[in-house]
Amino acid sequence: MTYLFMQSITKRFPGVTANDGVDLSVERGSIHALLGENGAGKSTLMRILYGMYAPDHGRIFLEGREIRIPNPRAAIQLGIGMVHQEFQLVPSLTVAENIALGYEPRRNGLVDRKTQRRQIEAILERFGFSLPLDKPIADLPVGIQQQVEIIKLLYRKAELLILDEPTSVLTPQEVEGLFAVLQTLREEGKTIIYITHKLREVKTICETATILRRGRVVGRLEVAAASEKELANLMVGEQVVDQVFPRSRQIGQERLVLKQVSALDDRGVPALREVNMTLRAGEIVGIAGVQGSGQSELVEVIGGLRPARGEIWLNGREVSRFSPRQRRQRGLAVIPEKRKEQGLNLATHIQENVISTRYYKPPFSGWLTLFTRPAEQFAGRILHEYNVAAPGVRSMVKNLSGGNQQKVITGREMIDHPEVLVAAYPTRGLDVGAAQFVREAMIGRRDQGGAVLLISADLDELFAVSDRILILYEGRIVGEKKPDETTFEEVGLYMTGHLHAG
Amino acid sequence: MQAESSQLEPTPSQPPPLEQTTPRLSPVAASLLRTLFTLLIALLMGALVMWVSGKDPLQAYRALLQTSLGSRTAVANSLLAATPILFTAMAAAVAFRAGIFNVGAEGSLYLGGFAAAWVGFTFTDLPAWLILPLAFLAAGLVGGLWCYFPAVLRSRLQVDELVTTILLNYVAILFTEYLVNGPFLVPGVANAMSPQVVPAARLPRLMPPSQLNASFLLALAAALVMIYLMTRSKLGYEIRMVGDNPQFARWSGINVAGVIERVMVIGGILGGLAGAGQVLGVHYRFIAGFSSGLAFTGMTVALLVRNSPVGALLAALLFGMLRSGSATMEIMTDVPRDLIRVLEATIIFFAAIEFGSLLWRRRRER
Repeated sequence: MTYLFMQSITKRFPGVTANDGVDLSVERGSIHALLGENGAGKSTLMRILYGMYAPDHGRIFLEGREIRIPNPRAAIQLGIGMVHQEFQLVPSLTVAENIALGYEPRRNGLVDRKTQRRQIEAILERFGFSLPLDKPIADLPVGIQQQVEIIKLLYRKAELLILDEPTSVLTPQEVEGLFAVLQTLREEGKTIIYITHKLREVKTICETATILRRGRVVGRLEVAAASEKELANLMVGEQVVDQVFPRSRQIGQERLVLKQVSALDDRGVPALREVNMTLRAGEIVGIAGVQGSGQSELVEVIGGLRPARGEIWLNGREVSRFSPRQRRQRGLAVIPEKRKEQGLNLATHIQENVISTRYYKPPFSGWLTLFTRPAEQFAGRILHEYNVAAPGVRSMVKNLSGGNQQKVITGREMIDHPEVLVAAYPTRGLDVGAAQFVREAMIGRRDQGGAVLLISADLDELFAVSDRILILYEGRIVGEKKPDETTFEEVGLYMTGHLHAG
Repeated sequence: MQAESSQLEPTPSQPPPLEQTTPRLSPVAASLLRTLFTLLIALLMGALVMWVSGKDPLQAYRALLQTSLGSRTAVANSLLAATPILFTAMAAAVAFRAGIFNVGAEGSLYLGGFAAAWVGFTFTDLPAWLILPLAFLAAGLVGGLWCYFPAVLRSRLQVDELVTTILLNYVAILFTEYLVNGPFLVPGVANAMSPQVVPAARLPRLMPPSQLNASFLLALAAALVMIYLMTRSKLGYEIRMVGDNPQFARWSGINVAGVIERVMVIGGILGGLAGAGQVLGVHYRFIAGFSSGLAFTGMTVALLVRNSPVGALLAALLFGMLRSGSATMEIMTDVPRDLIRVLEATIIFFAAIEFGSLLWRRRRER
């Protein structure tokens, strides 16, 4: 029996049609895969279902009745719950407090902890979980935190659970645990939509699948009747020819060398483990890995924003103890991962954003004074050379589109032809044209003899522009491949820890 | 709602926001309007309080205006009252702009004031041209150092500067009180005062019989320097970037810890100079508890003008008017000077909207 039916959902954003007449129907008591690459429109569709976006077109039916979902609270009341990739948990509160948060049973206006506890324990028992209810979330591993998220939905009486790439943060053992949990949920009659781009997981746990590509449904099928290859072809589609760039012709001397570099993440857990890598002039090295494999920490360590053990050499000089600015003075440029938090100051205009890495030098400033004229000219050059669509250099950065914001950052970091460029997810969230522009800029830099380290979650992109791909898994470099000599599948096996070099 | 933070995360399918092209009020005009609105509300609130307690608000405000601007001496007295506020408002504005909550200027004011007094009553043989700069130098140095300590705790160890500076203020206030009741007790004089500074260490009066003195000119100069610093200098750019988005500043290679330290030390120096100005220009000695919250008045001013340095200069003068006018108003009408506190409190209340967002940002940054 069809539990959920989303009918010809269309959602347009400026420049992008994220969902184009998408149909989705899910049976009660099944695990349905929503399969597609990054940017295929999976998250948009689910955000519509969860009440975070309003669709431009289309209708949603739950058990045959048409419903409207203006906000997430309404979705929860309808029994729809979502586990986001980034958990929505309060680290300092206990497991039990997190589960009940916002929906605490009350008596005489106060939280009724006894009832709350009883209700949670009943759920745990019914679904066969065992969780340390009195421990603070911060002390628990990610896999357990995810279980807390799931219990939280069950506590809110969710019938339909949306899991957004649930394994991207898990270790292989934790993935096993998650699958067991999902089996139980299915047996208890819950319906699950499983968002992923990992075929193996679809084969393992899902019964039916809807495959999205570029905002459209390209297939709906019984998983048992389809081969992985079939699924992959549907998902990836035809290789887009103009996406592949010529490989590097001339590789020069070593520009960036990491020797035995280890670092901790914000929680104090090892995030990088004895990473060795060499980046040479005239090459683009891609870093592949599932989310949270140490990519963010790698960028921060190279940039000098996170302390690390080991040695970092830049242009033949050890810079392990150098400040971010000193490293930049030695030829490093960084496109940070978080555009709005790290890459830009949204409270000011383009001009002040593009001088942030060079304002202290002539001609931008004298001994004490900051000059506006050179900054204005420089910003104008960036607008021009990087095709930033903005009314002027004094336009507020927050009013620019994501693509133009990214071009501002790209221009700031690349216009001086840095010898070493570290680019973290530089095309994330951009439309096709803007993404292509940024990729071409990196290729251009490489062809002029620059060394580029590209961190990306998009395998297409990594295969299209990289000369070598390094695979990061749990903070280690587990493999190195030339894109022309490997496949998505092989890299995928490295990314998930199924293959190791050597 | 539990979904909010993930809504803000950029994801592949997230839309680019719309380009905004609607014309807006220029930022300067907008902030001026907001400031005037806040002041107007405050005056209305004050009028309401007076009306409720059976006084005539119009008469009171007329008296206030008269006694703050009505004569040469009245103007001079307003400027006199504005002098320390100029220093402390700039100290507060520069810190707030960097996202730093430095309350330590009050402590610096006491310690700087005492340092100036100490120079003034110790080096009795020095000529005025030497002892005055020396006294101000000592005050600035002591004031700056006093804030350097919490600054380092904040920038290196992430110890909340709001907490440390509030607590250190008590240390400074009580320590100076101890000094003038113990080691520097003057026999035969009412206690809690230091000896008088020598005549050479007294700042010249500008418009007698008002006590307005040369420290006003120094305050004005300091304010102009601060305006330049915050709007035109490299450090000012760094302060603004750190204040707007410390993460961005760090990724760009700006030494965030260094900026925070400098901002807090500058606040301390300004506090110290304010104290010295009061001691050498008005009291001619250190008196325990002489400030009664001048640094906090400065913070009110900075909040009112949302940390605009030019605005702080103008608003400090306005607050000087209110302060000096209120004293005479009390005599001329039967409206107590506490009314002015009501006005200031109302201003704080409305400016608190900004205050709240500042605190919010502080928390997020950690």
